[in-house]
Amino acid sequence: MSTGGLRPWFEAYLDAFNRADFPAFGAYYADHINFHGQAAQLIGREAVLAFYHKVRSYLHERVELIGFVGAPDGGRIAAELHTTLLALRDWPDMPTGAMRAGDTRMRVSFAMYDIADGQFTRIRTARFSPPGGQAA
Amino acid sequence: MTSEDRFRAYMQAFNASDWDRLRGFYAPDVRLVIGNGTELKGREAIIDFYGKVKSQTRRTIEIIQCFADGQTLAAELESEFLAIEDAPDFAVRPMAKGDRYYLNSFVFYDFEGALYTRIRAATFRREFRPAT
Repeated sequence: MSTGGLRPWFEAYLDAFNRADFPAFGAYYADHINFHGQAAQLIGREAVLAFYHKVRSYLHERVELIGFVGAPDGGRIAAELHTTLLALRDWPDMPTGAMRAGDTRMRVSFAMYDIADGQFTRIRTARFSPPGGQAA
Repeated sequence: MTSEDRFRAYMQAFNASDWDRLRGFYAPDVRLVIGNGTELKGREAIIDFYGKVKSQTRRTIEIIQCFADGQTLAAELESEFLAIEDAPDFAVRPMAKGDRYYLNSFVFYDFEGALYTRIRAATFRREFRPAT
C-alpha cells in the first residue's frame, strides 16, 4: 500500500471502530494478529473482537486521530490517538480501572501498527502522560 | 540526508554524550515530554536533564525502528540505563550501582528543516534488572 493511501485506509478503520461496525474493522485484523493494548494482550482476530464486544457492552468508545506517521514501505503506522470512554453501566473490574455508569475517561495513546497484505499483524499501544498530569 | 539518517546521527550523538553536537539537533524553543509527563522547555533544559541522567547512569538508546512522514518522525526506542553509582533520586526509580533499567518507548519527533521542535514519548514497556 502506498504511503498516500495509508492514511485514508487507517481513517476508514477508525470510522468503522467508532461506529462499532465489527465486520468492517475486524477485516483489518490478520487471523493471528498480536494485540498488545493497555487493557488486554491477545492473539488472533477472534480474541480481539471478543474483547471489543465485551468492552462495548460496558462502554461507548470513540477514538480520534491526532497524529499520523506512515512508513514509506506501507508496512507500519504510528498514530497518536485520543480516546474518550463513556461508561454505559458500572464496570468494577475494568482492566484499566473501575468505571461507574456515566463516568467519562479520556486518554492519549501512541500506537504502533504492523501491516502485511492489507491487514494489521501487530498492534501495540502506550499511554501518553501529558505535561502536568492533566487529562488529555 | 533523510529524516531517518538525521535521526540516527542524533542518536549517535546522544549515545556518545556529545552535548555540543546534540544541541545542534534542537530548535531553541524545543519542547520535550518524557514518559512520566515531565515537560522540558528549550534545548538547554534538555541538555541539562540528559547531563544529569548520564552522571548517574550510563544510558544508551537503541533504535528499534524509525520512519518519517511529512514533518514528523516516529520511533520505537529501547533505552538501557546502567547505574554507575547509587542513584536514589534517579528520575525513573531509585537505582543502586550496577542496576539496569530498560525502557521501550514510542516517540514522535516534529521537526522544521533539520531541527526538532517538539518531542513526546510514551512508555510501552519497563523492565528493572537488579545488579544482584
